[in-house]
Amino acid sequence: MTFRSCGCENELARALKDGHWPEGCGPELRAHVDTCGSCSDLVLVTHTFQQARSESEQTAPGGPPSLLWWRAQLRRRNAAAERVSRPVTIAELFALSVYGCVGVVFVASEYRHSLRWASWWSQLAPSRAFHFLPVGAGQLDWNLLLLISSCGALALLSGLVVYLASEKS
Amino acid sequence: MDSDAFAGFYQRSAPALRSYLERVSGNAALADDLTQESYLRFLCATCPEGGEVNYRRYLFRIATNLLRDHWRRPKPACIEDIPEQLLAARDGLSRIDSQSVLDPALARMRPRERQLLWLAHAEGYSHREISEITGLSTAGIRLLLFRARRKIARLLRQRTGADRGRA
Repeated sequence: MTFRSCGCENELARALKDGHWPEGCGPELRAHVDTCGSCSDLVLVTHTFQQARSESEQTAPGGPPSLLWWRAQLRRRNAAAERVSRPVTIAELFALSVYGCVGVVFVASEYRHSLRWASWWSQLAPSRAFHFLPVGAGQLDWNLLLLISSCGALALLSGLVVYLASEKS
Repeated sequence: MDSDAFAGFYQRSAPALRSYLERVSGNAALADDLTQESYLRFLCATCPEGGEVNYRRYLFRIATNLLRDHWRRPKPACIEDIPEQLLAARDGLSRIDSQSVLDPALARMRPRERQLLWLAHAEGYSHREISEITGLSTAGIRLLLFRARRKIARLLRQRTGADRGRA
């Protein structure tokens, strides 16, 4: 399809837009429209669409403007609250990632001692735990203390993370 | 914009916006939803300078983007989901002409063509204004509009010829 714009198109479009067509236009333009395909298309299409628009405008859109106004205010407030709480969310995510990293580092560092723990655990049952003997501080392995305190911290942090996640959802 | 100014602006612009959305989407219920959403987004955004003409253009731009988003995520529709009043005959004899002539022709046009035709011929926007609303280039709009106009004029002539033949 070739694109050929007629020289009278702008004048005709203006007349149609202002409602001057056909009475307010000269006989030359009217004669031209009868012979020019592009201009007659313009007149037909513009008339049809303008008629359709005026008919459609009789249908009032639903909902009073005051309701829309208050809904928009509410949405604005929610957006503002979300903006304010965004740093808290970022901090939560950061804490979670640090917590995960600490966990991974801890597991990796303690992995080397796992065999020693296993042997210690096998010796523990007959020697102390089942005889309820007090354990001296000097006799206790520092790794064991670290393990117990880390497990406690992990359990506490897990509870905190689960609580924050459930609160968020 | 305060509440009273918005009420006035809404009364003046809402029918035109709803007509645009209804004709381009071909769905009255969707047009209602998108009209409301357009105003909500308009109120939540920072309004452009330059008075009501610019507000109106900005509103049409929001509506155009919402339509585009809607078309990007097509959802399967079930007949049970369509409100009953949409299936019933619409009231108002004045609508019959444009419904019987324009709607079938529009149904055979692509959404982009419907959009451009409505903005240019029903709303009377210039190519530059349509470019601001749709995000297309002015040269592209000129060409697309020329083709769309020719196509719909042929369909309208066929339709009116068929109606006359039937009469």
